[in-house]
Parts: sequence; C-alpha cells; structure tokens
Amino acid sequence: MQKGDQHVLLFAAIVCVTCSLLLSGTAAALREKQDFNVEMDRRVNVLKAFGVEVANEKGKRIITDDDVIATFKKHIFEVVLDRNGQILEGVSSDDLTSADKKKKLKLPLYQWSEEDTVTRYAFPISGYGLWSTLYGYMALEKDLATVIGVTFYDHKETPGLGGECSMPWFMDQFAAKIVWADGKLLPFEVVKGGVAVKYPSGCLHCVDGISAATITSNGITTFIREDLALYDAYFKTIRGS
Amino acid sequence: MAGKAKEIIFDPLSDNNPITIQVLGICSALAVTVKMETAVVMCVALTCVLTASNTVISLLRTVIPSKIRMIVEMAVIASLVVFTDQVLKAYLFDISRQLSVFVGLIITNCIVMGRAEAFALQNPPGLSFLDGLGNALGYSIVLIIVATVREILGAGEWYGFSLFFLPKDYLGNGLALLAPGAFIIVGLIIWVQRTIIKKFEDS
Repeated sequence: MQKGDQHVLLFAAIVCVTCSLLLSGTAAALREKQDFNVEMDRRVNVLKAFGVEVANEKGKRIITDDDVIATFKKHIFEVVLDRNGQILEGVSSDDLTSADKKKKLKLPLYQWSEEDTVTRYAFPISGYGLWSTLYGYMALEKDLATVIGVTFYDHKETPGLGGECSMPWFMDQFAAKIVWADGKLLPFEVVKGGVAVKYPSGCLHCVDGISAATITSNGITTFIREDLALYDAYFKTIRGS
Repeated sequence: MAGKAKEIIFDPLSDNNPITIQVLGICSALAVTVKMETAVVMCVALTCVLTASNTVISLLRTVIPSKIRMIVEMAVIASLVVFTDQVLKAYLFDISRQLSVFVGLIITNCIVMGRAEAFALQNPPGLSFLDGLGNALGYSIVLIIVATVREILGAGEWYGFSLFFLPKDYLGNGLALLAPGAFIIVGLIIWVQRTIIKKFEDS
C-alpha cells in the first residue's frame, strides 16, 4: 500500500465519522420537537375530521398547538377496541405498536363529548393506494350513519394524480354522506368517472373518483369499506342500546 | 482585495448569475416558486448550505486528497443539507412539508457542487464564503422574481397579502401556478437579462 493511499483512507474515515456524528447529534437533539410536530399534525387532522375549523380557505393552519391540546383535553376521549367490538380497558392509542396499527387488531376510536354525552365519533382509516399506504380519519355523527368529514394526512401518491386525495375538493365531498341505513352498512364507493355519470339518480354513499388515479380511488373504496366493517362490531352495540 | 471581494459578491447577481447565465439550479427554481413563502425559505436554506459548504471545503482544500475530492465535497454538502432539512422539520413543519423533497434535492443542486469545484478548492475560506454568498443571492433574486410573478398572476396575492391594485374578484391564472408557467417566466427573465448585458451563446 502506498503512502498516498493511507492518507486517502484515513481522510475518508475522518470525513465519514465527522459527518455521521454531526447528523446523528442533530437528529437526536431535534427528535422530540419533530415528534411533537408530527403528533400535532395528527391531532389537527382528527379535529378536522370532526368538523372543527382548523385552517383558513387557503389551507393555512389557524389553530394553535395549545388550542389543539386544550380541545383534545376538553372534548375528546379515546378508547381502544378489539375486533369483536369490546373496549380494551386500560389501553390507550399511545400503547399501540406499529404492528397493531398495521394489522388493525386493536382499533383506536376517538369520541367527541359535549357535557358527558358522546356526540361524534372518529376513527383512523388506512390502506394501500398505488405507491403507498394512505392514512386518514373518518368522523361520524351520533347516528353512526352520517359522515361529518374525512381527511387524508399522509401518503406518498403522485402529486396531481393520486396525491389529489388530500386536496380539499376531494375530502370535502365526504361530508354528509351516508354509510349505514336499514340495519346494514352501505357499500361506500369512490366512483370512477363521477357519481353523476354512474348513478344519474344520485347516490348518497358515493363520491367522485380522481381522474387518472383509478388505483388510488379503488384503494380508498376498499379500505373505507373494510375499516367501516371493523368498527361496525362496536357501533352495533351502541346503536342497539 | 476589497475590489476583488466586491466583484466576487456582485458578479453572480447579474453578469454571471447561476440561473440565468449558467442555467444551473433550474429544477428548484421551477418547483418551489408557486408562492413567496416557500421561495424565501428555499433561498435561505440554499444560502446557508452554499456559504457553509464553500467555507468548509475551502478550509479543507489543502488536505483533501485529489483522488476522492468529489466524494468528500458530496459528503460535506449532503451533511449540511440533511442538517438544514432536520432543522426545518423541527421549527418550520408546515413549510418543510410544502417544500417536500426539494430541500433534500439541494444536494444535487449543481450550483453547490459547481461552486465547490470551481471556486472553493482554489481560494481561501474568506473569499469562498463571499463567493457562496454571492451565488446564493444571485439564485435568490431570480427565485424571488419568479415567485413574485407567479403568486401575483396565479393567486392575486403577494406573500399571502392581497394587493390593492387588483380587483377583489380577481380570478387566478392557473398556468402561472403550474410548472410550465414557471418555465415561461424563467425563460423570459433569461431573455431580458441576456439582452441587457449582451451575452449571447454564439458570439
């Protein structure tokens, strides 16, 4: 080995170690703050699904972190369900591992209460689009049939195509849709080509699909149906009482 | 010395502008200029990375083995960019989400690597710092002009404020918000500037 090569190797090693120390130090120091931002973003989306005004018409967030925390404390309490619709005592959504969330064996449910009565329900929805898993929330009125709102807050679909799922025009369509009637769940559908074309007489459990994003649209249809069915085990017990 | 420093800072603003004359860094100039807010954050991020990378590489210029000099430059630039990205995620979460991948793509912005190769490797840290600053400002000026035109035409606003000289029911021009609109504006700026300073490729 030449003397020059030793210098090259040594220099490369020093650069690598310095850079990795700098970056891991930064990541560790900022971790808490970043996690807080992600958590706030998640909570803002829960509130948005519940119909709370969180952004102005330009999509700029107008609610402060403190307000988000306060609103959560005042109105929202969460329970975790199992697949049979039983409440798991003593489990909070923070305890769920990523595997729990992925396999949907334990199901968090957010309940909005006004003066100790639950008036609205929200739950996470997630599933595959084209490239990625879409994450969002769906909120239902007290009747557990009328949708208050749906939000999608995290996905890696193509901007302008499948990525349109997190645009206001798409998400706003879900408000006031009906997912349950006459004792059974309705087959929710994101309709390719538009609701007005496929169902000229109207369809209360359908929203317009996204042009050039049929796979994303079909994915949303599939996982909204699945997630509604999962939570229905618990909703049945509420409707029954 | 003072004259040289002045030249280093002011040359990239017009006569040797990285975007309009060297045609580097076009990708981000198109992508993040839909509105002023993102453009300004991008400019600040690039300024930090470019001045820091020029300074660091200039400090190391006598010890970097020439065989691996590009890899070392890349490592320094990439570390600085990831650092900037982490800071944005912690303190400017919404904007970092809007900038999405484009902060990360500063790594591949030809201006940064280009200045390291062309200037920082041959010059002392002080001058390299100024060179980085000058080029970053040259980049920023163009980005801000493009963002100004796009936001006013596309949304009828500037930096989120509505403008008094536009009618209240101004309907934004969709083309200005899309990448082709940015292409047209950058093209017009290049044309006007090269006409003024009389720079032609075939002369």
